[in-house]
Amino acid sequence: MARSIWLRIAVLTATLALAFGITGKPARAALDVYVGARNEVRNAPVSDCDGRASRALVSVLGRSAEIGDTHEWTAMGAVDTAGSSFAAAAVHCFPLDGSGYVVTFTCAAQAPPAPETASVICSQLADHFGGQH
Amino acid sequence: MSRRGRQAALAGAAMLVAIVLCSSQAPAALDFSVGIRYVSDTGSTSECSAKAQQSLNAFLQGASESSPGSGDWIAHSQNGVNGTPTASAVVRCFGLSHGYVVTFTCAVQLPDNPYTANALCLDVAHKFHGAGAITALAAIPTPSPEPTGCAPNSLVGTWVSDDNPKLTFSMGLGGDLTDSEGVSGNWSLKGNTATLIYYGTHTLTLSADARHLHGGGYSLTRRC
Repeated sequence: MARSIWLRIAVLTATLALAFGITGKPARAALDVYVGARNEVRNAPVSDCDGRASRALVSVLGRSAEIGDTHEWTAMGAVDTAGSSFAAAAVHCFPLDGSGYVVTFTCAAQAPPAPETASVICSQLADHFGGQH
Repeated sequence: MSRRGRQAALAGAAMLVAIVLCSSQAPAALDFSVGIRYVSDTGSTSECSAKAQQSLNAFLQGASESSPGSGDWIAHSQNGVNGTPTASAVVRCFGLSHGYVVTFTCAVQLPDNPYTANALCLDVAHKFHGAGAITALAAIPTPSPEPTGCAPNSLVGTWVSDDNPKLTFSMGLGGDLTDSEGVSGNWSLKGNTATLIYYGTHTLTLSADARHLHGGGYSLTRRC
């Protein structure tokens, strides 16, 4: 009987030690911000930039929104159960005199848990925007 | 239920409790601010760059141009408690035929950072523009300096067994210890009474010079 109790205590202790060992040293999250590409596009209206920016953000981060009517687009990545997001990006479109626009990509990530770095997010955005990366 | 079944159930429950306890800490979240943009009808890109660098350094540190002449500037906060920056801001200048356009984008890590991305971007933009209210940003909490030497209020450091010099213990700031064979445990200190949880619980006494631990079957000397 006594041996059985000690065996249970040993099993319990070993299991707790294993579980705390698995979860007790989480990697520390770090902020990662990246200044992405800047491109100048000629002979295209800024509405072309708006459409591409929105589609690129949806493709990479799953959503997009314009801030007012500014041609500035942003998106946060998927949220976890606590409502927190760990990736974000901004695509700025600015119309140039005459015909054309300039577009910039700026990205942020918190890794872990974000699976991609800010640099990778910006690279994917530029690729989706139109192969101008 | 058989004995083995009860033991397996007990182990499973213990594992679940431990994982839940360890997972209850709220993870940090990313806070992002975008949308502030100024268009200036006068001035050059180099003027924009100078103001970008100055306004970033007013609230962050080490403002640098992502590539020389690009007009894209980035700066980071000092390191937070985790040893990495918890706030960053990006100011991007683009020259126009007359003047320039400048955008402001900020990101912070919450709750480690004491202010939001919006608060940071507003301050940087207002500083750049030379107008608008500047709100004081709280200082970023810094990591506690690791005790050095033979601190009498801490066991942090490397300890050597007096009986077996090959056996050493590395005691960390967080109350963790690891021996020279990789076996881990914990330490705590109350007054001059130390408790080591390492193959059981041992009570030891810290000497007045904070260099020696005796008791509980151990005799250790700290390297300091």
